[in-house]
Amino acid sequence: MSLSSKEYFVRETGKSIKRNGIMSIASVSTVAVSLLVLGIFLLMYLNTDNLAKYLEGQVEMTVYLEDTATGEEVADMREKLKKMEGVVQVTEITKAMAMERFKNRLGDQATLLKALGKDNPFPFSFEVQVDRPERIKALVSQVEHWPKVETAKFGQEVVEHLFALTRVMRIGGAVLIVFLCFATLFIIINTIRLTVFARRREVVIMKYVGATDWFIRWPFMLEGMTLGLGGGIIACAVVDLIYVSLSGRLHTTFAFFPVLPSWPTLLYADIFILACGTLIGALGSYLSLKKFLRV
Amino acid sequence: MLEMIDVSKTYPGGNVALRNINVRIEQGEFVFIVGPSGAGKSTFIKMLFREILPTSGSIRLNDVDILNLTAKEVPYLRRQLGIIFQDYRLLPDRTVYDNVAFAMQVIEAPYRKIKRRVMNVLDLVGLRRRAYSKPNELSGGEQQRIAIARAIVNSPSLVIADEPTGNLDPETSMEIMEIFQEINNTGTTIIMATHDKEIVDSMGKRVIAIEHGEIVRDELNGVYGYESEQ
Repeated sequence: MSLSSKEYFVRETGKSIKRNGIMSIASVSTVAVSLLVLGIFLLMYLNTDNLAKYLEGQVEMTVYLEDTATGEEVADMREKLKKMEGVVQVTEITKAMAMERFKNRLGDQATLLKALGKDNPFPFSFEVQVDRPERIKALVSQVEHWPKVETAKFGQEVVEHLFALTRVMRIGGAVLIVFLCFATLFIIINTIRLTVFARRREVVIMKYVGATDWFIRWPFMLEGMTLGLGGGIIACAVVDLIYVSLSGRLHTTFAFFPVLPSWPTLLYADIFILACGTLIGALGSYLSLKKFLRV
Repeated sequence: MLEMIDVSKTYPGGNVALRNINVRIEQGEFVFIVGPSGAGKSTFIKMLFREILPTSGSIRLNDVDILNLTAKEVPYLRRQLGIIFQDYRLLPDRTVYDNVAFAMQVIEAPYRKIKRRVMNVLDLVGLRRRAYSKPNELSGGEQQRIAIARAIVNSPSLVIADEPTGNLDPETSMEIMEIFQEINNTGTTIIMATHDKEIVDSMGKRVIAIEHGEIVRDELNGVYGYESEQ
Protein backbone atom coordinates (compact mmCIF):
# COMPACT_ATOMS: atom_id res chain seq x y z
CA MET A 1 0.00 0.00 0.00
CA SER A 2 1.57 3.27 -1.07
CA LEU A 3 1.83 6.42 1.00
CA SER A 4 -0.60 8.31 -1.20
CA SER A 5 -3.15 5.52 -0.71
CA LYS A 6 -2.84 5.81 3.06
CA GLU A 7 -3.31 9.55 2.83
CA TYR A 8 -6.30 8.95 0.66
CA PHE A 9 -7.86 6.56 3.20
CA VAL A 10 -7.36 8.91 6.12
CA ARG A 11 -8.72 11.89 4.18
CA GLU A 12 -11.78 9.95 3.04
CA THR A 13 -12.45 8.73 6.57
CA GLY A 14 -12.27 12.22 8.03
CA LYS A 15 -14.54 13.66 5.35
CA SER A 16 -17.08 10.94 5.83
CA ILE A 17 -17.30 11.23 9.62
CA LYS A 18 -17.78 14.99 9.27
CA ARG A 19 -20.40 14.57 6.57
CA ASN A 20 -22.37 12.15 8.78
CA GLY A 21 -22.02 14.48 11.79
CA ILE A 22 -25.15 13.68 13.79
CA MET A 23 -25.20 10.02 12.88
CA SER A 24 -21.55 9.72 13.86
CA ILE A 25 -22.24 11.29 17.24
CA ALA A 26 -25.24 9.03 17.73
CA SER A 27 -23.29 5.90 16.98
CA VAL A 28 -20.32 6.91 19.12
CA SER A 29 -22.70 7.50 22.05
CA THR A 30 -24.50 4.19 21.55
CA VAL A 31 -21.24 2.35 21.34
CA ALA A 32 -20.08 4.18 24.47
CA VAL A 33 -23.18 3.20 26.46
CA SER A 34 -22.97 -0.45 25.40
CA LEU A 35 -19.28 -0.66 26.18
CA LEU A 36 -19.85 1.11 29.49
CA VAL A 37 -22.30 -1.56 30.62
CA LEU A 38 -19.95 -4.20 29.30
CA GLY A 39 -17.03 -2.71 31.22
CA ILE A 40 -18.94 -2.40 34.49
CA PHE A 41 -20.11 -5.96 34.20
CA LEU A 42 -16.62 -7.15 33.46
CA LEU A 43 -15.25 -5.46 36.58
CA MET A 44 -18.05 -6.83 38.76
CA TYR A 45 -17.34 -10.29 37.49
CA LEU A 46 -13.58 -10.00 37.98
CA ASN A 47 -14.06 -8.84 41.56
CA THR A 48 -16.54 -11.54 42.54
CA ASP A 49 -14.30 -14.15 41.00
CA ASN A 50 -11.33 -12.72 42.83
CA LEU A 51 -13.19 -12.75 46.13
CA ALA A 52 -14.24 -16.36 45.67
CA LYS A 53 -10.70 -17.42 44.76
CA TYR A 54 -9.31 -15.47 47.68
CA LEU A 55 -11.61 -17.25 50.09
CA GLU A 56 -11.15 -20.63 48.48
CA GLY A 57 -7.39 -20.33 48.52
CA GLN A 58 -7.63 -20.26 52.28
CA VAL A 59 -7.77 -23.95 53.07
CA GLU A 60 -7.71 -22.97 56.62
CA MET A 61 -9.76 -23.25 59.70
CA THR A 62 -9.45 -21.02 62.67
CA VAL A 63 -9.78 -22.48 66.14
CA TYR A 64 -10.64 -19.87 68.75
CA LEU A 65 -9.78 -20.72 72.35
CA GLU A 66 -11.51 -19.60 75.50
CA ASP A 67 -9.60 -16.98 77.47
CA THR A 68 -9.35 -19.43 80.39
CA ALA A 69 -7.06 -21.85 78.55
CA THR A 70 -3.66 -22.19 80.26
CA GLY A 71 -0.29 -22.25 78.53
CA GLU A 72 -0.04 -26.01 79.03
CA GLU A 73 -3.46 -26.61 77.53
CA VAL A 74 -2.53 -24.46 74.53
CA ALA A 75 0.69 -26.40 73.96
CA ASP A 76 -1.19 -29.74 74.24
CA MET A 77 -3.75 -28.61 71.79
CA ARG A 78 -1.10 -27.49 69.30
CA GLU A 79 0.51 -30.92 69.39
CA LYS A 80 -2.86 -32.61 68.97
CA LEU A 81 -3.73 -30.43 65.97
CA LYS A 82 -0.39 -31.08 64.34
CA LYS A 83 -0.92 -34.83 64.51
CA MET A 84 -4.31 -34.72 62.79
CA GLU A 85 -4.49 -36.09 59.27
CA GLY A 86 -4.17 -33.50 56.51
CA VAL A 87 -2.92 -30.73 58.73
CA VAL A 88 0.02 -28.96 57.12
CA GLN A 89 0.75 -26.13 59.43
CA VAL A 90 -0.46 -24.73 62.70
CA THR A 91 0.12 -21.07 63.47
CA GLU A 92 -0.51 -19.51 66.85
CA ILE A 93 -2.17 -16.12 66.86
CA THR A 94 -1.89 -14.54 70.27
CA LYS A 95 -4.39 -11.99 71.50
CA ALA A 96 -1.90 -9.17 70.86
CA MET A 97 -1.19 -10.38 67.32
CA ALA A 98 -4.89 -10.53 66.55
CA MET A 99 -5.32 -6.98 67.75
CA GLU A 100 -2.38 -5.79 65.64
CA ARG A 101 -3.77 -7.45 62.52
CA PHE A 102 -7.14 -5.85 62.93
CA LYS A 103 -5.49 -2.48 63.37
CA ASN A 104 -3.67 -2.95 60.07
CA ARG A 105 -6.82 -3.93 58.23
CA LEU A 106 -8.67 -0.90 59.46
CA GLY A 107 -5.91 1.35 58.17
CA ASP A 108 -6.93 4.99 58.51
CA GLN A 109 -9.73 4.10 60.86
CA ALA A 110 -7.50 2.34 63.40
CA THR A 111 -8.12 5.22 65.76
CA LEU A 112 -11.55 3.71 66.42
CA LEU A 113 -9.79 1.03 68.49
CA LYS A 114 -8.77 3.64 71.03
CA ALA A 115 -12.30 3.37 72.39
CA LEU A 116 -11.42 -0.12 73.63
CA GLY A 117 -8.84 1.27 76.05
CA LYS A 118 -6.63 -1.48 77.46
CA ASP A 119 -9.13 -4.27 76.80
CA ASN A 120 -8.31 -6.77 74.10
CA PRO A 121 -11.49 -8.52 72.99
CA PHE A 122 -9.70 -10.81 70.53
CA PRO A 123 -9.35 -14.44 71.57
CA PHE A 124 -6.23 -16.57 71.27
CA SER A 125 -6.45 -18.71 68.14
CA PHE A 126 -4.79 -21.35 65.99
CA GLU A 127 -4.79 -20.98 62.23
CA VAL A 128 -4.70 -24.48 60.85
CA GLN A 129 -3.65 -24.98 57.24
CA VAL A 130 -5.01 -28.12 55.63
CA ASP A 131 -3.76 -29.81 52.47
CA ARG A 132 -7.16 -30.09 50.76
CA PRO A 133 -10.30 -27.95 51.17
CA GLU A 134 -12.54 -31.07 51.38
CA ARG A 135 -11.00 -32.14 54.71
CA ILE A 136 -11.97 -28.99 56.49
CA LYS A 137 -15.58 -29.85 57.25
CA ALA A 138 -14.68 -33.07 59.14
CA LEU A 139 -11.84 -31.43 61.04
CA VAL A 140 -13.99 -28.56 62.14
CA SER A 141 -16.74 -30.77 63.55
CA GLN A 142 -14.11 -32.75 65.51
CA VAL A 143 -12.18 -29.84 66.96
CA GLU A 144 -15.30 -27.90 67.87
CA HIS A 145 -16.02 -30.34 70.74
CA TRP A 146 -12.61 -30.19 72.41
CA PRO A 147 -12.50 -28.61 75.86
CA LYS A 148 -11.46 -24.92 76.04
CA VAL A 149 -12.31 -24.49 72.33
CA GLU A 150 -14.77 -21.68 71.89
CA THR A 151 -15.48 -22.24 68.22
CA ALA A 152 -13.86 -23.52 65.01
CA LYS A 153 -14.66 -21.78 61.72
CA PHE A 154 -13.93 -22.11 58.06
CA GLY A 155 -14.83 -20.10 54.94
CA GLN A 156 -16.04 -22.95 52.77
CA GLU A 157 -19.76 -22.19 52.89
CA VAL A 158 -19.18 -18.63 51.79
CA VAL A 159 -16.92 -19.87 49.04
CA GLU A 160 -19.57 -22.23 47.73
CA HIS A 161 -22.11 -19.43 47.59
CA LEU A 162 -19.67 -17.15 45.88
CA PHE A 163 -18.80 -19.71 43.26
CA ALA A 164 -22.47 -20.22 42.55
CA LEU A 165 -22.69 -16.46 42.12
CA THR A 166 -19.70 -16.25 39.78
CA ARG A 167 -21.18 -19.07 37.70
CA VAL A 168 -24.40 -17.13 37.31
CA MET A 169 -22.43 -13.98 36.54
CA ARG A 170 -20.29 -15.77 34.02
CA ILE A 171 -23.30 -17.13 32.09
CA GLY A 172 -25.43 -14.02 32.57
CA GLY A 173 -22.47 -11.84 31.70
CA ALA A 174 -21.70 -13.77 28.55
CA VAL A 175 -25.33 -13.51 27.43
CA LEU A 176 -25.43 -9.81 28.23
CA ILE A 177 -22.14 -9.14 26.51
CA VAL A 178 -23.20 -11.00 23.37
CA PHE A 179 -26.47 -9.09 23.36
CA LEU A 180 -24.75 -5.74 23.80
CA CYS A 181 -22.19 -6.56 21.14
CA PHE A 182 -24.99 -7.31 18.71
CA ALA A 183 -26.79 -4.08 19.54
CA THR A 184 -23.57 -2.13 19.05
CA LEU A 185 -22.82 -3.98 15.85
CA PHE A 186 -26.28 -3.15 14.55
CA ILE A 187 -25.79 0.56 15.21
CA ILE A 188 -22.40 0.59 13.51
CA ILE A 189 -23.75 -1.32 10.52
CA ASN A 190 -26.49 1.25 10.09
CA THR A 191 -24.18 4.23 10.37
CA ILE A 192 -21.70 2.82 7.91
CA ARG A 193 -24.54 1.85 5.59
CA LEU A 194 -25.53 5.52 5.45
CA THR A 195 -21.97 6.41 4.55
CA VAL A 196 -21.76 3.73 1.93
CA PHE A 197 -25.12 4.77 0.56
CA ALA A 198 -24.01 8.38 0.32
CA ARG A 199 -20.98 7.21 -1.59
CA ARG A 200 -22.44 4.33 -3.57
CA ARG A 201 -21.63 6.03 -6.89
CA GLU A 202 -18.01 6.18 -5.90
CA VAL A 203 -18.05 2.54 -4.86
CA VAL A 204 -19.55 1.48 -8.19
CA ILE A 205 -17.09 3.56 -10.19
CA MET A 206 -14.22 2.17 -8.15
CA LYS A 207 -15.40 -1.32 -8.99
CA TYR A 208 -15.57 -0.49 -12.71
CA VAL A 209 -12.11 0.99 -12.91
CA GLY A 210 -10.62 -2.02 -11.15
CA ALA A 211 -10.12 -1.06 -7.50
CA THR A 212 -9.70 -4.11 -5.31
CA ASP A 213 -12.36 -4.80 -2.69
CA TRP A 214 -9.92 -4.06 0.10
CA PHE A 215 -8.99 -0.72 -1.40
CA ILE A 216 -12.67 0.21 -1.44
CA ARG A 217 -13.22 -1.18 2.02
CA TRP A 218 -10.42 0.58 3.90
CA PRO A 219 -11.92 4.06 4.30
CA PHE A 220 -15.19 2.56 5.52
CA MET A 221 -13.42 0.16 7.85
CA LEU A 222 -11.39 3.04 9.25
CA GLU A 223 -14.56 5.02 9.78
CA GLY A 224 -16.22 2.14 11.64
CA MET A 225 -13.11 1.54 13.71
CA THR A 226 -12.84 5.23 14.55
CA LEU A 227 -16.46 5.32 15.71
CA GLY A 228 -15.96 2.14 17.77
CA LEU A 229 -12.72 3.41 19.26
CA GLY A 230 -14.31 6.79 20.04
CA GLY A 231 -17.15 5.09 21.90
CA GLY A 232 -14.61 2.87 23.64
CA ILE A 233 -12.55 5.83 24.87
CA ILE A 234 -15.62 7.48 26.38
CA ALA A 235 -16.68 4.20 28.00
CA CYS A 236 -13.18 3.68 29.42
CA ALA A 237 -13.09 7.15 30.93
CA VAL A 238 -16.45 6.64 32.65
CA VAL A 239 -15.69 3.08 33.78
CA ASP A 240 -12.33 4.14 35.24
CA LEU A 241 -13.88 7.05 37.05
CA ILE A 242 -16.64 4.90 38.54
CA TYR A 243 -14.26 2.14 39.57
CA VAL A 244 -11.71 4.37 41.23
CA SER A 245 -14.29 6.24 43.29
CA LEU A 246 -16.32 3.12 44.10
CA SER A 247 -13.38 0.94 45.09
CA GLY A 248 -12.13 3.69 47.39
CA ARG A 249 -15.52 3.85 49.07
CA LEU A 250 -15.80 0.05 49.31
CA HIS A 251 -12.45 -0.06 51.01
CA THR A 252 -13.49 2.34 53.72
CA THR A 253 -16.89 0.68 54.25
CA PHE A 254 -15.90 -2.98 54.10
CA ALA A 255 -12.36 -3.22 55.33
CA PHE A 256 -12.18 -6.95 54.65
CA PHE A 257 -13.41 -6.95 51.07
CA PRO A 258 -10.49 -7.68 48.77
CA VAL A 259 -11.24 -5.20 45.94
CA LEU A 260 -8.96 -5.65 42.92
CA PRO A 261 -6.56 -2.68 42.75
CA SER A 262 -7.19 -0.08 40.01
CA TRP A 263 -3.76 -0.82 38.59
CA PRO A 264 -3.49 -3.02 36.59
CA THR A 265 -7.14 -4.18 36.65
CA LEU A 266 -8.38 -1.07 34.87
CA LEU A 267 -5.64 -1.35 32.29
CA TYR A 268 -6.91 -4.79 31.32
CA ALA A 269 -10.53 -3.65 31.36
CA ASP A 270 -9.69 -0.61 29.21
CA ILE A 271 -7.78 -2.68 26.68
CA PHE A 272 -10.70 -5.08 26.51
CA ILE A 273 -13.22 -2.27 26.02
CA LEU A 274 -11.16 -0.48 23.36
CA ALA A 275 -10.47 -3.71 21.51
CA CYS A 276 -14.16 -4.60 21.61
CA GLY A 277 -15.17 -1.19 20.26
CA THR A 278 -12.64 -1.20 17.45
CA LEU A 279 -13.38 -4.77 16.50
CA ILE A 280 -17.12 -4.22 16.44
CA GLY A 281 -16.57 -1.09 14.35
CA ALA A 282 -14.48 -3.00 11.83
CA LEU A 283 -16.90 -5.91 11.68
CA GLY A 284 -19.88 -3.60 11.28
CA SER A 285 -18.27 -1.83 8.32
CA TYR A 286 -17.27 -5.08 6.74
CA LEU A 287 -20.79 -6.44 6.96
CA SER A 288 -22.54 -3.32 5.71
CA LEU A 289 -20.23 -3.13 2.70
CA LYS A 290 -20.74 -6.69 1.63
CA LYS A 291 -23.83 -6.01 -0.43
CA PHE A 292 -22.40 -2.96 -2.17
CA LEU A 293 -19.26 -4.69 -3.27
CA ARG A 294 -21.12 -7.29 -5.28
CA VAL A 295 -20.88 -5.44 -8.61
CA MET B 1 -8.17 -10.36 -28.39
CA LEU B 2 -11.78 -11.13 -27.50
CA GLU B 3 -13.48 -14.40 -28.20
CA MET B 4 -16.97 -15.51 -27.17
CA ILE B 5 -17.77 -19.17 -27.73
CA ASP B 6 -21.34 -20.51 -27.48
CA VAL B 7 -22.25 -17.91 -24.91
CA SER B 8 -25.83 -18.05 -23.64
CA LYS B 9 -27.54 -16.21 -20.85
CA THR B 10 -30.86 -17.11 -19.29
CA TYR B 11 -32.00 -14.89 -16.46
CA PRO B 12 -33.65 -16.38 -13.39
CA GLY B 13 -37.30 -16.71 -14.36
CA GLY B 14 -36.49 -18.18 -17.77
CA ASN B 15 -35.99 -14.98 -19.78
CA VAL B 16 -33.41 -15.83 -22.47
CA ALA B 17 -31.20 -12.80 -23.10
CA LEU B 18 -28.51 -14.33 -25.31
CA ARG B 19 -28.40 -17.61 -27.24
CA ASN B 20 -25.24 -19.29 -28.62
CA ILE B 21 -23.24 -16.17 -29.28
CA ASN B 22 -19.98 -16.75 -31.18
CA VAL B 23 -17.86 -13.68 -31.80
CA ARG B 24 -14.20 -12.99 -32.40
CA ILE B 25 -12.85 -9.46 -32.21
CA GLU B 26 -9.22 -8.64 -33.01
CA GLN B 27 -6.96 -6.13 -31.34
CA GLY B 28 -7.51 -2.65 -32.80
CA GLU B 29 -11.00 -3.27 -34.17
CA PHE B 30 -13.87 -0.79 -33.79
CA VAL B 31 -17.15 -2.66 -33.43
CA PHE B 32 -20.71 -1.42 -33.09
CA ILE B 33 -23.30 -3.60 -31.36
CA VAL B 34 -26.76 -2.68 -32.66
CA GLY B 35 -30.26 -4.04 -32.34
CA PRO B 36 -33.69 -3.14 -31.00
CA SER B 37 -34.26 -2.44 -27.29
CA GLY B 38 -34.33 -5.63 -25.26
CA ALA B 39 -32.43 -7.60 -27.91
CA GLY B 40 -29.60 -8.44 -25.52
CA LYS B 41 -27.08 -5.67 -26.29
CA SER B 42 -26.76 -4.64 -22.67
CA THR B 43 -26.29 -8.20 -21.49
CA PHE B 44 -23.63 -8.66 -24.16
CA ILE B 45 -21.76 -5.55 -23.00
CA LYS B 46 -22.03 -6.30 -19.29
CA MET B 47 -20.60 -9.78 -19.78
CA LEU B 48 -17.41 -8.29 -21.14
CA PHE B 49 -16.51 -6.74 -17.80
CA ARG B 50 -18.01 -9.55 -15.81
CA GLU B 51 -20.89 -7.69 -14.29
CA ILE B 52 -23.11 -10.47 -15.63
CA LEU B 53 -21.97 -14.07 -15.90
CA PRO B 54 -23.26 -16.17 -18.81
CA THR B 55 -25.22 -19.34 -18.12
CA SER B 56 -22.97 -21.30 -20.47
CA GLY B 57 -20.12 -20.79 -22.92
CA SER B 58 -16.75 -19.13 -22.51
CA ILE B 59 -15.36 -15.62 -22.93
CA ARG B 60 -11.65 -15.18 -23.54
CA LEU B 61 -9.99 -11.80 -23.28
CA ASN B 62 -6.31 -11.62 -24.23
CA ASP B 63 -6.19 -15.42 -23.89
CA VAL B 64 -7.61 -15.43 -20.37
CA ASP B 65 -10.94 -17.12 -19.73
CA ILE B 66 -12.61 -14.36 -17.76
CA LEU B 67 -15.29 -16.70 -16.45
CA ASN B 68 -12.66 -18.65 -14.53
CA LEU B 69 -11.44 -15.60 -12.64
CA THR B 70 -11.88 -15.52 -8.89
CA ALA B 71 -13.58 -12.52 -7.29
CA LYS B 72 -10.11 -11.28 -6.30
CA GLU B 73 -8.90 -11.35 -9.91
CA VAL B 74 -11.84 -9.42 -11.38
CA PRO B 75 -10.39 -5.98 -10.49
CA TYR B 76 -7.27 -6.82 -12.46
CA LEU B 77 -9.39 -7.78 -15.47
CA ARG B 78 -11.16 -4.44 -15.26
CA ARG B 79 -7.88 -2.56 -15.22
CA GLN B 80 -7.39 -3.72 -18.82
CA LEU B 81 -10.79 -2.28 -19.73
CA GLY B 82 -12.22 1.20 -20.03
CA ILE B 83 -15.94 1.33 -19.42
CA ILE B 84 -18.19 4.19 -20.54
CA PHE B 85 -21.90 4.54 -19.78
CA GLN B 86 -24.74 6.55 -21.23
CA ASP B 87 -25.19 8.48 -17.96
CA TYR B 88 -21.45 9.33 -17.58
CA ARG B 89 -21.32 8.21 -13.91
CA LEU B 90 -19.15 11.06 -12.68
CA LEU B 91 -18.58 12.19 -9.10
CA PRO B 92 -20.35 15.56 -8.88
CA ASP B 93 -18.43 16.82 -5.85
CA ARG B 94 -15.04 16.50 -7.55
CA THR B 95 -13.33 18.47 -10.27
CA VAL B 96 -12.82 17.19 -13.79
CA TYR B 97 -9.20 16.51 -12.91
CA ASP B 98 -10.12 14.57 -9.76
CA ASN B 99 -12.72 12.52 -11.57
CA VAL B 100 -10.11 11.31 -14.03
CA ALA B 101 -7.31 11.00 -11.47
CA PHE B 102 -9.64 8.93 -9.29
CA ALA B 103 -9.35 6.00 -11.70
CA MET B 104 -5.58 6.03 -11.25
CA GLN B 105 -5.66 6.62 -7.50
CA VAL B 106 -7.82 3.61 -6.81
CA ILE B 107 -5.43 1.29 -8.60
CA GLU B 108 -2.66 2.90 -6.56
CA ALA B 109 -0.70 4.51 -9.36
CA PRO B 110 2.26 6.65 -8.25
CA TYR B 111 1.31 10.26 -7.58
CA ARG B 112 3.72 11.89 -10.07
CA LYS B 113 2.61 9.62 -12.85
CA ILE B 114 -1.04 10.48 -12.17
CA LYS B 115 -0.63 14.21 -12.74
CA ARG B 116 1.20 13.86 -16.04
CA ARG B 117 -1.08 11.17 -17.42
CA VAL B 118 -4.34 12.89 -16.43
CA MET B 119 -3.27 16.12 -18.11
CA ASN B 120 -2.34 14.23 -21.28
CA VAL B 121 -5.69 12.49 -21.40
CA LEU B 122 -7.58 15.73 -20.75
CA ASP B 123 -5.66 17.19 -23.67
CA LEU B 124 -6.79 14.33 -25.85
CA VAL B 125 -10.48 14.90 -25.03
CA GLY B 126 -10.05 18.70 -25.21
CA LEU B 127 -10.80 19.46 -21.55
CA ARG B 128 -7.44 20.61 -20.24
CA ARG B 129 -8.71 24.14 -19.74
CA ARG B 130 -11.70 22.89 -17.73
CA ALA B 131 -9.61 20.64 -15.47
CA TYR B 132 -10.66 22.45 -12.30
CA SER B 133 -14.36 22.86 -13.06
CA LYS B 134 -17.02 20.66 -11.49
CA PRO B 135 -18.89 18.29 -13.85
CA ASN B 136 -22.23 20.07 -13.42
CA GLU B 137 -20.69 23.30 -14.75
CA LEU B 138 -20.10 21.51 -18.04
CA SER B 139 -22.35 20.46 -20.93
CA GLY B 140 -23.47 16.87 -21.49
CA GLY B 141 -20.93 16.37 -24.24
CA GLU B 142 -18.14 17.66 -22.03
CA GLN B 143 -19.26 15.41 -19.19
CA GLN B 144 -19.11 12.40 -21.49
CA ARG B 145 -15.61 13.45 -22.45
CA ILE B 146 -14.63 13.36 -18.78
CA ALA B 147 -15.99 9.82 -18.63
CA ILE B 148 -14.01 8.89 -21.73
CA ALA B 149 -10.86 10.42 -20.25
CA ARG B 150 -11.42 8.41 -17.08
CA ALA B 151 -11.95 5.22 -19.10
CA ILE B 152 -8.71 5.54 -21.04
CA VAL B 153 -6.47 7.04 -18.37
CA ASN B 154 -5.17 3.62 -17.35
CA SER B 155 -4.38 2.75 -21.00
CA PRO B 156 -6.84 -0.13 -21.41
CA SER B 157 -6.53 -2.52 -24.31
CA LEU B 158 -10.31 -2.58 -24.75
CA VAL B 159 -12.80 0.27 -24.37
CA ILE B 160 -16.41 -0.77 -23.83
CA ALA B 161 -19.07 1.89 -24.32
CA ASP B 162 -22.76 1.36 -23.61
CA GLU B 163 -24.82 3.97 -25.52
CA PRO B 164 -22.23 6.72 -24.97
CA THR B 165 -24.12 9.23 -27.15
CA GLY B 166 -27.59 8.30 -25.92
CA ASN B 167 -28.06 11.59 -24.09
CA LEU B 168 -26.35 13.86 -26.62
CA ASP B 169 -27.46 15.86 -29.65
CA PRO B 170 -26.22 14.72 -33.11
CA GLU B 171 -23.52 17.34 -33.44
CA THR B 172 -22.03 16.62 -30.03
CA SER B 173 -22.33 12.89 -30.72
CA MET B 174 -20.15 13.27 -33.80
CA GLU B 175 -17.53 15.13 -31.75
CA ILE B 176 -17.53 12.32 -29.23
CA MET B 177 -17.12 9.79 -32.03
CA GLU B 178 -14.09 11.66 -33.28
CA ILE B 179 -12.51 11.15 -29.89
CA PHE B 180 -13.32 7.45 -30.01
CA GLN B 181 -11.76 7.30 -33.48
CA GLU B 182 -8.60 8.92 -32.13
CA ILE B 183 -8.45 6.40 -29.31
CA ASN B 184 -8.97 3.59 -31.81
CA ASN B 185 -6.15 5.00 -33.94
CA THR B 186 -3.71 4.30 -31.10
CA GLY B 187 -4.54 0.60 -31.37
CA THR B 188 -7.15 0.38 -28.63
CA THR B 189 -10.05 -1.94 -29.41
CA ILE B 190 -13.49 -0.34 -29.09
CA ILE B 191 -16.82 -2.12 -28.62
CA MET B 192 -19.81 0.18 -28.55
CA ALA B 193 -23.48 -0.56 -28.14
CA THR B 194 -25.57 2.13 -29.75
CA HIS B 195 -28.95 3.16 -31.10
CA ASP B 196 -27.49 5.99 -33.12
CA LYS B 197 -28.12 5.29 -36.84
CA GLU B 198 -26.30 8.37 -38.06
CA ILE B 199 -23.13 7.48 -36.24
CA VAL B 200 -23.04 3.87 -37.31
CA ASP B 201 -23.78 4.70 -40.91
CA SER B 202 -21.21 7.46 -41.11
CA MET B 203 -18.35 5.63 -39.42
CA GLY B 204 -18.32 2.57 -41.68
CA LYS B 205 -17.11 0.13 -39.02
CA ARG B 206 -17.82 -3.49 -38.24
CA VAL B 207 -21.44 -3.89 -37.12
CA ILE B 208 -22.84 -6.80 -35.11
CA ALA B 209 -26.63 -6.84 -34.93
CA ILE B 210 -28.38 -8.72 -32.15
CA GLU B 211 -32.08 -9.61 -32.22
CA HIS B 212 -33.92 -11.81 -29.73
CA GLY B 213 -30.61 -12.80 -28.18
CA GLU B 214 -28.98 -14.00 -31.38
CA ILE B 215 -26.48 -12.49 -33.76
CA VAL B 216 -28.37 -11.87 -36.99
CA ARG B 217 -25.74 -9.86 -38.85
CA ASP B 218 -21.99 -9.34 -38.58
CA GLU B 219 -20.55 -7.15 -41.33
CA LEU B 220 -17.37 -5.18 -41.87
CA ASN B 221 -18.19 -1.66 -43.07
CA GLY B 222 -21.73 -2.28 -41.88
CA VAL B 223 -24.71 0.00 -41.49
CA TYR B 224 -27.22 0.47 -38.69
CA GLY B 225 -29.95 -1.30 -40.65
CA TYR B 226 -32.95 -0.23 -38.55
CA GLU B 227 -35.24 2.76 -38.77
CA SER B 228 -33.84 5.59 -36.65
CA GLU B 229 -35.49 5.64 -33.24
CA GLN B 230 -34.65 9.25 -32.54
